Amino acid sequence: MVPLENYLVLSAIIFSIGVYGVLARRNAVLVLMGVELMLNAVSLNFIAFSAYLDPDRIIGAVFAVFVITVAAAEVGLALAIVIRLYRNRSTSNVDEAASLKW
Amino acid sequence: MSATEVLWWIFAGIIVITSLGVVVSRSVIHSAIFLIASLAGVGAMYVFLMVEFLALVQFLVYGGAVTVLVLLALMLTRMGAGGNVERANGPQAPFGVLVAGALAAVLITVAVGTAWPGNTDEPTPILIGAISDRLFVDFGAPFVIASVLLLVALIGAIILARQEDE
Repeated sequence: MVPLENYLVLSAIIFSIGVYGVLARRNAVLVLMGVELMLNAVSLNFIAFSAYLDPDRIIGAVFAVFVITVAAAEVGLALAIVIRLYRNRSTSNVDEAASLKW
Repeated sequence: MSATEVLWWIFAGIIVITSLGVVVSRSVIHSAIFLIASLAGVGAMYVFLMVEFLALVQFLVYGGAVTVLVLLALMLTRMGAGGNVERANGPQAPFGVLVAGALAAVLITVAVGTAWPGNTDEPTPILIGAISDRLFVDFGAPFVIASVLLLVALIGAIILARQEDE
C-alpha cells in the first residue's frame, strides 16, 4: 500500500502550486482558483492523517467536512465580490483595484 | 509494486500536472477545466484513502458546484476566450516561484523527515457511520454554526451581486 509520506508530499506540492497561483496571478478568479488548490491540499492532509494515524477518533475527516463547507461559502461570497468589482470598475484584476475609495 | 500503487502514482501525476496547468495556463477557461481535473484527482485520492463519503462530497461540491460557480463568474465578467490573455501574471510572478519553491522544500523535508507515530504503511477505512457519529455527537455545535455560516454567506452573496439600478 501507499505510505503516509506520499500523501503528505503530494499535498505539499499541491499547496505550493496554489501559493504560486495566489501570488502570481492578476485575475481575481484565478487567485481564487489558487485558494481552492490550497484548501484541497489541506483537506487531503487532514484526511490522510486521520486515516493513517488517528483511525479511532477520525477528527481529521470531520475537519475536512468543515473545510469543504467553509470553502463552498467562501467561493460564493468571493465570486459575488468579483462580479461586483467588475460591475463598478470594469476589471477583475486585483492590481487594478488598488484604491480604497472612488 | 502493486496495481494500487501504480494507479496511485498515475493519479498523483495527473493531480500535479493539472494543478500546474491551473496556475500557468494562459486562458482562464483552460485554468477552470484544469481545476476540475485537479479537484477530481484529489477526490480519487480520497478513494485510495478509503474515505468514500468524502470522495463523493468532493466530486459533488468541488467538481460540480464550485467549478460551475467559477465558470459562471468568468462568463459574467467576460473573461472567456480571448479576454486578457496577454498578461495573466503580474510582475511579481518570479518571486511567487521563489516563495512557492521554498515552501514546497520546507514542507516536503518536514513530511519525509518526521517520524510519524503510529501505522504509516496502510490507511484504515473511515466509514460514513463513524464520520456521522463524530459530526453529530461530538461536533454538534460547530455543525449548527456551519449552517448559520452558509445562510449568512448565501444572503451576503445575493446582496453583493444584486442589481441596484431599479
